[in-house]
Amino acid sequence: MSTSTPTPSVVPAKTSPGWQRKLSHLLGPLALLGPPGVWLLLLLVVPTLLILQLSFVPGIRPGQPMDGFGLGNYLNIFQPIYLQVIWRSVFFALGSTVLTLLLGFPVAYWIALMAPKRWQNLLLVGFILPLWTSSLLRAYAWITILRPTGVLNSFLSTLGLPTLDLLNRSGAVFIGMSYSFLPYMVLVLYASLEKLDRRLLEAAADLGASAPQTFWKVTVPQTLPGIAAGCLLVFIASLGDFVVPELLGGASSMTVSRLIYNQFLGATRNWGLGSSLSMVLILAVSISIALLIRYGDRDPESFS
Amino acid sequence: MYLPILILAFYSFNASRFSATWEGFSLRWYSTLFNDSRIFAALQDSLAVAICAVGVSAVLGTLMAVGLARYRFWGKGLYRGVSYLPLIIPDIAIAVATLVFLASFAIPLSLWTIVASHIVFCLAYVAVVVSTRLSGLNPHLEEAALDLGATPTQAFLKVLLPELMPAIVSGCLLAFVLSMDDLLISSFTAGGGANTLPMEIFSRVRTGVKPDINALSVVLILGSGVLAFVAEYIRYRGDQRRSV
Amino acid sequence: MNTRKPRFYPGRSPRIANTRRGFLQLSAAALSGAVLSNCARNLADVSSEDSTSGSAAADGGTLNVYSWANYHDQELLDSFQAKTGIEVIVDTYDSNETMLAKMQAGGGSAYSIIYPSDYMVTQMIEFDMLTTLDKSRLVGLENLRSQWQDPVYDPGSAHSVAAVWGTTGFVYNPDNLGTTLTGWDYFWENGGSLNRQITLLNDVREVMGGVLHSLGYSYNSEDPAEIEEAYNRLVELKPAIANFITNGWEDQVSSGDVLVSMAFSVDALSLVAENPDIEYVIPETGSSLWTDAMVIPKSAPNPDAAYEWINFLLVPENAASSVERLRFATPNEVAYDQLSDELKADTKLFPPQDLLDRCEGIAPVSEEATELYDQYWTQLTST
Repeated sequence: MSTSTPTPSVVPAKTSPGWQRKLSHLLGPLALLGPPGVWLLLLLVVPTLLILQLSFVPGIRPGQPMDGFGLGNYLNIFQPIYLQVIWRSVFFALGSTVLTLLLGFPVAYWIALMAPKRWQNLLLVGFILPLWTSSLLRAYAWITILRPTGVLNSFLSTLGLPTLDLLNRSGAVFIGMSYSFLPYMVLVLYASLEKLDRRLLEAAADLGASAPQTFWKVTVPQTLPGIAAGCLLVFIASLGDFVVPELLGGASSMTVSRLIYNQFLGATRNWGLGSSLSMVLILAVSISIALLIRYGDRDPESFS
Repeated sequence: MYLPILILAFYSFNASRFSATWEGFSLRWYSTLFNDSRIFAALQDSLAVAICAVGVSAVLGTLMAVGLARYRFWGKGLYRGVSYLPLIIPDIAIAVATLVFLASFAIPLSLWTIVASHIVFCLAYVAVVVSTRLSGLNPHLEEAALDLGATPTQAFLKVLLPELMPAIVSGCLLAFVLSMDDLLISSFTAGGGANTLPMEIFSRVRTGVKPDINALSVVLILGSGVLAFVAEYIRYRGDQRRSV
Repeated sequence: MNTRKPRFYPGRSPRIANTRRGFLQLSAAALSGAVLSNCARNLADVSSEDSTSGSAAADGGTLNVYSWANYHDQELLDSFQAKTGIEVIVDTYDSNETMLAKMQAGGGSAYSIIYPSDYMVTQMIEFDMLTTLDKSRLVGLENLRSQWQDPVYDPGSAHSVAAVWGTTGFVYNPDNLGTTLTGWDYFWENGGSLNRQITLLNDVREVMGGVLHSLGYSYNSEDPAEIEEAYNRLVELKPAIANFITNGWEDQVSSGDVLVSMAFSVDALSLVAENPDIEYVIPETGSSLWTDAMVIPKSAPNPDAAYEWINFLLVPENAASSVERLRFATPNEVAYDQLSDELKADTKLFPPQDLLDRCEGIAPVSEEATELYDQYWTQLTST
């Protein structure tokens, strides 16, 4: 790649004619933005347009006549069965988002506001360290724990408690996803809570607000942008997640990403359907991002 | 947070073939692991992909971040938007799109197609991290250098680059970890016998729970733990120096 | 199949442009027409590339094999390497469709030997993906039983050499199940109590076909009503299904995580050999009877090594010793004669003729039927 690394070494002479100066003005941006732009265009924009195109060829699969153009794939998606899959993906994503919020908020709150100052950084780092490890292995760890004869059930039965049957169903997916994405939530919430103006909390307490009142009336509204950002991050990540539902979900938790995977590398090879599902997924994510940007822009005004 | 990891670590020393029953301490899974040439071949592929992708991304990402911060031009919003896309679009959609693209142009899949597709998202992450640092930088430094007679290249290399270095390094680390962890994009773009570590782990996990994977987890977690610790330490030192 | 239509995959027809015009006119994408027309013509053309343009021409010393799990062990690979100096790298897949998807997507350009099953051999021949074998380079073909010298799926063995055959059945631990299993019907009779206690193969034709067969229909039914009936039976069974997996059930059955797993005889019998508590049963009504054959894809980077490999496995001694270790049924008559009496008498490995008569091979079905199967399969796995 070294050949494409530009070195704008040509310094324009002061007397250069107009077009040359214009060229040299263009040279800088081109040199800096050209190569990455071309790369993104080739390997991101063009491919996305290609699957957009492919998504309009009903039921296209490699090895088949390339005829027809239509909304067949999209109409297909509106069959109850696929709507159910989409709904299930959204449900998993929403559920994991709520779970991570419920688990993450106290942790972030504690680290940001209650833990001793000098430990804060270390605690935070400790909490997000698992993100550095392979997501596959973290999901795999849960198989060991949740399988019917796994660690959890051995533990429960030694205590004389009834065993739990969690693997290969929704419960395992929620657990796996929440575990995978909790660090993101904590990180975002921490950043938001850390900026919280403590004087407001003190003021509220001075004015006689109880602790829950202070929390709900001051802390939560103040950190709402952070909560929204964290939720969105987790939502998007879990909506597109493949590893956790594939490994922990078993036969009864098909999600959009698993379905797409199956259309391309799995048994059914329906590239048309797969492409249109990808487009739906991209659309869903874009909409949630658009919502956040609108929402995020309004926030500062309404709360300042 | 660490409980599942610790359980994996615990059972990697289990003599039994099945995870749930404890049958005494044993290191046999570690010896199985270290004699497993497939795992090492996969690790090699993964490292090759990550290093190449991150190396290219470091250059391209920095250029992009600097370019976006410096110039105004028609379509800049679009350009910036596109550069954020890899962070937003789910992996599976990127993977599928890349596969269709490569198949369309009859580009034979190989290790290099994995590298090319990894550069897309690595580039984006590096650019984002560098952009953040750029926005907090004093723009007058570079101007001063130019006023003092430095060529734009000199100003870039001698003034801007050292200032950006911490951001570039942390962006690269992030990209490296993500590249090493990527399963989907690699699976869709791998060919020519290329097999990355996550792909190998995935196929093994799917074919059953075996203690040598536990052992592998422990080794990998230790490895990435050390890496993470070093990275955080560097960042911590950097923060301290700046605040002093 | 209508070969006059422009085809998506080999895509050499100039008429493609006409069918695409509609899209191009509608396309608002700011993309040059050349890019788009290029893409559709070549889509998935990678796999049919000539070996001359293959990327892996450099590795003359290695042979990449794409195969099912449990067909090779280190001993076999080592003895091959000792004899020929060629290093073998085996990657595995868990269904024919997965393999085909990978090959069509272009991810299989490194493989010089693949082991598709019978019906998939036919399909790959139709897709023009396989090399016509040069019989003068093969030694020992006459050792195969006559039925595999001229199989239905590949007349005259022009593109494939039969390597392994077997049945499909169920693996279970009688102590855990509390009864002996005889066939599919058990699942519906006891469906309620089998909450996520069984695994089925991750294989469209095997699972759908197995149910079709248990209903008295053919594995290769193309009748939409029959296929739908089988689908409905499976939907009924869905709560009992823990997962669709071809490999990986071994631990789960052994540890008791699941009660019954549907499995290919090869994988099942190697587990039985390891763990005598486990039993393999072929449904009384018969199962599928499959043959996995060695083929050389057109994209093979190292066809010479591929021929060496096929010849090596045609040697009766090599085939027989693999069977002893890996427990698969061999189509090689001479190798069969060399097996130990114990193996020859193993009715699970070599089922008696009357049971074999009740079994049925999976054959390719029409494109419409394939789509129907795929559609029901997607729905089944999605509910």
